[in-house]
Amino acid sequence: MNAPFFKYGLFGDDFSLVVAFLIGIGFGFFLERAGFGSAKKLTAQFYFIDMSVFKVMFTAIVTAMLGLYYLGVLGLINLSLVYLTPTYLIPQILGGLILGIGFVIGGYCPGTSCVAVSTGKIDALVFLIGVVAGIFAFGEVFPLIKNFYYSSDMGQLTLPQLLNIPYGLIVFLVVLMAVGGFIGAEFVEKKMKK
Amino acid sequence: MKSFISKLNIKQKLAAVALLLGIIAIFAGNPYKDAYAKIDTKEIALIIQKELDHITAEELADWIIQGKSDYRLIDLRSEKEFEEYHIPTAENIQLTMLSDYTFLPAEKIILYSEGGIHSAQAWFLLVAKGYRNAYMLKGGLEEWKDKILFPTISQNPSPDEVKHFEKIKEVSKYFGGSPQTGKEENVTIKQTLPKLEMPKQVTPQVGTQKKKKKEGC
Repeated sequence: MNAPFFKYGLFGDDFSLVVAFLIGIGFGFFLERAGFGSAKKLTAQFYFIDMSVFKVMFTAIVTAMLGLYYLGVLGLINLSLVYLTPTYLIPQILGGLILGIGFVIGGYCPGTSCVAVSTGKIDALVFLIGVVAGIFAFGEVFPLIKNFYYSSDMGQLTLPQLLNIPYGLIVFLVVLMAVGGFIGAEFVEKKMKK
Repeated sequence: MKSFISKLNIKQKLAAVALLLGIIAIFAGNPYKDAYAKIDTKEIALIIQKELDHITAEELADWIIQGKSDYRLIDLRSEKEFEEYHIPTAENIQLTMLSDYTFLPAEKIILYSEGGIHSAQAWFLLVAKGYRNAYMLKGGLEEWKDKILFPTISQNPSPDEVKHFEKIKEVSKYFGGSPQTGKEENVTIKQTLPKLEMPKQVTPQVGTQKKKKKEGC
């Protein structure tokens, strides 16, 4: 049996929605358990008081990377069929900044706002309404910004391709970066709490 | 050593495991496997220009009649089309399954599809994967029908053409075809595909082909 299952036709469009729903529930559950249903905890990241966001997200990245890498090496997953978001460098930098500003102001990112709404947080509900309004506004002005949106197209880019470094070495370097990051994060937390 | 490990908390242990996996990764190689291939574009262009990339319907017919078994004939069409008719000795492998399929390195592989386009694309995939003995059936199944199953002869044939047609007629009959002599009464005869007489070939599992969807989050 080979992954990705959907691309190999193991299930159809309908069942893929069920799978997406289950994965979404799982994702939301673990965000909530990590404490990401609280705007206080999330914004603490930006003041370096609580580095949970950094640690949880980087852990997720490393876990997914190691999992995909070794499944690929063992031939259980065909990585060339796994979807990669294409890189549009400048629009994505701008988009990242806008998201970051919204994150600091609103206290949530889009995913965590849904988690917080499910536990009954009013501020998250307001935030979510803002997200939906933003999506709507974006959709309406999209024809005007379309050229910019698709500018600086670099295709589906991966670090091994970009840096021309063997894939395995990148895996090692990212793990090293993560472990170093965790040690640094704990250190910063201790310092800021004093 | 043991006491050192027991001193670590769960987070540190997990970090150690991640580091270990990261170190192994340096030596474990590329996870992309065979999906990517390097090709020598010049070499391929040369093969194509010299027409070393295909065989004709008549050559293939000769091989089948002679009972040659040093080749593998691959039908790239859908399972349904394959069931309706296929060239004797053919096996059905779909384009998407082809890249997962392993042939012997020196095996002579002959590809055909309805026209010539799919087989040419499949040929490219195989050559890129390093199978240097891949060939296409020139003109695909259409030409097989025109030249072998329902061959025609021009209105005023030259002696050479007549001689050739006499030979082809025999070949055509062997494959259950019906040669068209080009005379008025023959033109209206319906060209019916011969019933398959060869033993049924094993058909590998066929993956469903999906339309490309927009994806991402």
